[in-house]
Amino acid sequence: MRGLLSKKSIFLFILLIAAFALPNFLKNKFYMNIVIMVIFYAALSGSWNILAGYAGQLSLGHSIFFGLGAYTSTLLLVKMGVSPWLGIIAALIMSMAVGALIGYPAFRLKGPFFTLATLAFSEVIRYIASFWKELTNGAMGINIPFKPGLATMMFRTKEPYYFIALGMLLLIILITFFIDRSKMGSYFIAIRENEDAAEVLGIPITRYKMYSMLISSGLAALTGVFYAQYILFIEPEAVFNINFSSQIALMSIIGGMGTIFGPIVGAVLLVPLNEIMRSAFSSLNGLNFFIYGIVLIIVVSWMPNGILPTITNQVKKRGLKVSTDRKGAGKIDTAN
Amino acid sequence: MGEIIQVLISGILVGGIYALISMGLNLILGVVRIINFAHGEFLMLAMYLSFFLYSVWGLDPYVSALLVVLILFVFGLFIQRIIIQPILNTSATVKIFVTLGLSIALQNFALMLWRADFRSVHTAYQTAVINVGTVAVSIPRLIAFIVAIIVALGMYLFLNKTLVGKAIRAVAMEKRAAALMGINVKRIYLLAFAIGSAIVGLAGALLIPIYYVFPTVGTLFVLISFVVVVLGGMGSMLGAFLGGIIIGLVEAIAGVVIAPGLKEAVYFIIFILVLLFRPSGLFSLGKGSEEVGLK
Repeated sequence: MRGLLSKKSIFLFILLIAAFALPNFLKNKFYMNIVIMVIFYAALSGSWNILAGYAGQLSLGHSIFFGLGAYTSTLLLVKMGVSPWLGIIAALIMSMAVGALIGYPAFRLKGPFFTLATLAFSEVIRYIASFWKELTNGAMGINIPFKPGLATMMFRTKEPYYFIALGMLLLIILITFFIDRSKMGSYFIAIRENEDAAEVLGIPITRYKMYSMLISSGLAALTGVFYAQYILFIEPEAVFNINFSSQIALMSIIGGMGTIFGPIVGAVLLVPLNEIMRSAFSSLNGLNFFIYGIVLIIVVSWMPNGILPTITNQVKKRGLKVSTDRKGAGKIDTAN
Repeated sequence: MGEIIQVLISGILVGGIYALISMGLNLILGVVRIINFAHGEFLMLAMYLSFFLYSVWGLDPYVSALLVVLILFVFGLFIQRIIIQPILNTSATVKIFVTLGLSIALQNFALMLWRADFRSVHTAYQTAVINVGTVAVSIPRLIAFIVAIIVALGMYLFLNKTLVGKAIRAVAMEKRAAALMGINVKRIYLLAFAIGSAIVGLAGALLIPIYYVFPTVGTLFVLISFVVVVLGGMGSMLGAFLGGIIIGLVEAIAGVVIAPGLKEAVYFIIFILVLLFRPSGLFSLGKGSEEVGLK
């Protein structure tokens, strides 16, 4: 086992070095943008994965935390000139506080009713953001004036954004890794697999659901700050969007919920697929998302645990020794 | 005074349309136990169907309604058989994301074929109103409201007085016991899904003289019908009807009293409150709705 682990860590180490070296080889702005979006989506979906994949709380309102992060740092920057690096702290606090406020009542709901409640919260926040024009400029959105510099987290080239996104993703992978290996992770999985049994065994389920919510919403806020600084424009319709929330969820589901690398696999497959389809069928508006929907139906119906667990299971069945990072994954929700 | 009555009446009439859409969703949710996120897209397809029957063949929406209902019934059968049936015994996650995928696919199918343009029919009676004192009542909305009442009554009679209706209720209550009594559960699922889809088809036909159709029109209504179903109580047709009226009224009153931009936020807040304090709904027989999809 130890030998395998080291083989795997060597592989990951090489991958990491390749990731750091990539900007030296990739000079094309179009491709660089796609790579950055892959990393961004992997990070955002990874933050959702902690709440939904590990703790089993299937939220379709994750864009709330992402959007709150983006709005908090942006408003601080535009209205008061606070550096986004400091804005991150405010964004974290804001997002986690709202996460706690939503989680406290919503965690009493189970299954699809929790999902519906998160949808409703997401809609309420979108309406408020569109309505509160004095603060958020309403549906018009906020343009962030371009002032390049390290302090303002705005850059002329793509490379700095790439490294910030990569750092963000690595942080989320590390946190997920530690959760996966910790007692907390086991508690999360116990809650996901069978809430009643977990409670009987003495796990304080509400407290642990709340932990997953706080970690998940905080990390989502982080990606929100990055998004605002990268795109330099935010509007309620884009950042508090239900479709966006389901896209975030989709990456993890396709890749493999409740696994460390599932969200990355999902983002690596879906983001370029989306970009390719969008440029290939640009004349036929809607075809890309039509195919996207069909793919979603097929993959979820036939591979309910996602690609990563399905592949690793196949590999295992053939007797090849490959260590996996799935802990309890492959059985998501069977208790229900 | 006249203005207040006007607001209340238009709220109630809009509520009738919400009720009609929600009754279809409610039947599917109560019997098949699946939250159909694509329900709004069924409505959208019915509206397009109605629109094209009008613009191509000149069929009045009220005349073509029968055809639309029939087509949506068959469409419902098809979707249930091909997409929903294979996932009935899977997890809540799979159910949610399969219907969500269906919703995305249908929405973009419409966008691909018919573009994002807003389309509407132009009939003679479209803007017709009846004046009662100072209050003006729009005739197409009144028709939709009356049809909603008829459908609610019809569904009530069907579910309570006919053998098939009783079988549907039996499956909704306890599918294993129903199967042991010799009811073909799969066939009941097919029927319930198809009827639910036919009702939303009728709603689409009645909505087209009042509202525009565009690819994402369903999203607007599907969230409202979730609110209505949870508010009214799952599986209860009367609940869905009353829930629709309540949401229509809340929307109309909030639009005047609070602010037009926040009226949707108000009913989503009501939705959250109902989910938290009475998840089985205002009019349901009791516990149960919070367990949907978990069994």
